[in-house]
Amino acid sequence: MPKSSPFIGYWLKTTLSLWVIAFVCFYLSDTEIISLDPWSELQRMGLGLVSPDFFATEYLLEALWQTVSFALLGVFVGLLWGAPLALVYTNRFIAAMCAVIRSIHEIFWALLFLQIFGLSPITGILAIALPYGATFARVFHDILLQSPVTTVQTLPAHTDKISRYFYGRISHVIVPILAYIRYRFECALRSSAVLGFIGMPTLGFYLETAFRQGNYHEGAALLILFITLIGTISFWCRPTLIILYLFCAVFTLPNIPSVDGMLLWRFISQDILPPALQNLDGFSQFDFTQLLNWAYKILLEQALPGMILTLLLALSALAMAHLVSVSASALAFKPLTGSIFSSVMKLLLLILRSIPEYIFAFIFMMLLGPSMLPAMLALALHNGALIAFLTLRQSDTVSVSADFNGRIDGYCYDILPKIYPNLMGLLFYRFEVILRETAIFGILGVATLGFYIDSAFSEIRYSTALLLMACTALLNIVVDLVSRRLLTQSTRGGLACR
Amino acid sequence: MVNFEDLTLKYTDKLAISQLSLSIKHGEKVAIIGPSGAGKSTLLFHLYSLLKDNAAFCSQKQGLVDGLSTYHNVYMGSLARHNWLYNVVNLVTPFSVPLGEVNGLCHELSLDVPMAKLLAELSGGQRQRVALARALYQRQPIFIGDEPFSALDPLMAEHLLKLVLARHSSAIMVLHDKSQALSHFDRIIGLREGKLCLDVTQDELTPELLAHFYSHESFPQPCNA
Repeated sequence: MPKSSPFIGYWLKTTLSLWVIAFVCFYLSDTEIISLDPWSELQRMGLGLVSPDFFATEYLLEALWQTVSFALLGVFVGLLWGAPLALVYTNRFIAAMCAVIRSIHEIFWALLFLQIFGLSPITGILAIALPYGATFARVFHDILLQSPVTTVQTLPAHTDKISRYFYGRISHVIVPILAYIRYRFECALRSSAVLGFIGMPTLGFYLETAFRQGNYHEGAALLILFITLIGTISFWCRPTLIILYLFCAVFTLPNIPSVDGMLLWRFISQDILPPALQNLDGFSQFDFTQLLNWAYKILLEQALPGMILTLLLALSALAMAHLVSVSASALAFKPLTGSIFSSVMKLLLLILRSIPEYIFAFIFMMLLGPSMLPAMLALALHNGALIAFLTLRQSDTVSVSADFNGRIDGYCYDILPKIYPNLMGLLFYRFEVILRETAIFGILGVATLGFYIDSAFSEIRYSTALLLMACTALLNIVVDLVSRRLLTQSTRGGLACR
Repeated sequence: MVNFEDLTLKYTDKLAISQLSLSIKHGEKVAIIGPSGAGKSTLLFHLYSLLKDNAAFCSQKQGLVDGLSTYHNVYMGSLARHNWLYNVVNLVTPFSVPLGEVNGLCHELSLDVPMAKLLAELSGGQRQRVALARALYQRQPIFIGDEPFSALDPLMAEHLLKLVLARHSSAIMVLHDKSQALSHFDRIIGLREGKLCLDVTQDELTPELLAHFYSHESFPQPCNA
């Protein structure tokens, strides 16, 4: 084994390994550029963007409000069940249950609930509330763990438990928790829009229709509205107004169609069972080999290739996101590139991170043809921009040394070592998100696990869909465990850059 | 008040206190001195855990909450005097009685900041006085403090020390230097490497004795106190 140089530290090794793995993945992926006439399509998109038509969409205001109200109610219900669970998250059963719920993308939950409740608001709200609640439980638990214990030590003896908890623990973490809820609300807006893809009456529904039909003037207008909506959250979403919004959201919900009890029962007792278990009169009819064959066939023909493609796509996208985030956070750093250029870059980052991945994927698919490349680029741009944005928040507070020369070499010596561990931490955290988001590309036709799940639902093979969803959950949980282990190994004793 | 023999305390990797015997009577004002790493804080925290029913503890780590106001940080000293509902409601809208009390206490400590000011916005010296105010607001007969005046100027430190000593019948404090603050205490205890190396009353304390105690700082020699 060659002797490693003492100067090749942990982060350098991690970065190099990431690049080697991603290179192999990229090589194995289908990234062929097939494009017939991308420029005319792009030209029409560009034209649409410069002359957006805000009056083309018939139910524009309703769609906007439904997007907001699904997000609000979803986050609210998620908080209702997720926040209390954070207190008992140390329980292994609870943690495992949350991990499974969290690892399944909103859109799959929505597809599942769609079969039970139909196009009812319950579908949309539950689809957001379930995975978000599970995420709240874990994140709040993590935040609570980080709160210092010295306060509790100095409280008077005989302080009752509740006061001890509120003054000693909650008060330390209330600021990061509120910030996190706010951030998740932004995510929920995006999720809520995505639900339009499967027919919920949110912005995504009209957005997809407009783009598919080539109404780029209308599509651009919707996109601009959506970005503005996300970019101005801090203006319209005041803490005091939230209760008012919640009331409005409840009262303006579309009518909830009554749920047919018989149908629901049939769904649970018949439809979601594998063929071998359906219509059984007694245990004697149970055919175990038939069940095994069924599972084996799905696992081999759909789950395995789906998983491989999902991983190839996610890993390649991860490395690309790394590249985007490192370069973008340097370009938008004010002392390096000047105030005008960095402001423009920051605006660009805001736009890039507000545009949902699938819109990018859609645009790139027009330009580059149907392959995995559009999906990779879309994931890389969106996540890279988000990581760069979060990194910039840190680098803007890092004190620049007095003799900073304002050049790229100075940046690499002075700033990059300070922000890099955090950047990599965010990147690995985002890997889990990237993996989940590959689900949407399945719906757009890239043969990830999401593609097979979507097909199974549309062929009304619920049992197949459920088995594949379980595989997705398993894959996400394994990846989450591995990346957490990598992170804790490196952050033992603080995130030091070595 | 407190009495133990042959006490040994250790962390996972190192010995903090070894075979230490100590007895402190009611009404005594005891100062603990010694070089850093001598085990002063460990001993003090042990004393607090023995006396905590009647003692207010002012930790070196302060245990302040950055996200709360100055008022709330001081109010935390009185948590044990109220029921939980009162405390939780007070967290959202402060009650006027404790607000007045805390405001008055802060004035006495020359801490003239708005009560609603977030703790994160205070300076180092102000933060230390908030921690001190919280301990005073516990209104206990015994005060246990770990360098409670280290971030203050000598004049302010002396003023506050007198105030603290006047309000508690007994006091045990770690002080980090051989300052003249020692003259306010009845008894001075010196620790070195987890051992008791000095235990004298105020009358017995001479500058030579102190100089002798500190002169061994870098030499791990057996003590003969």
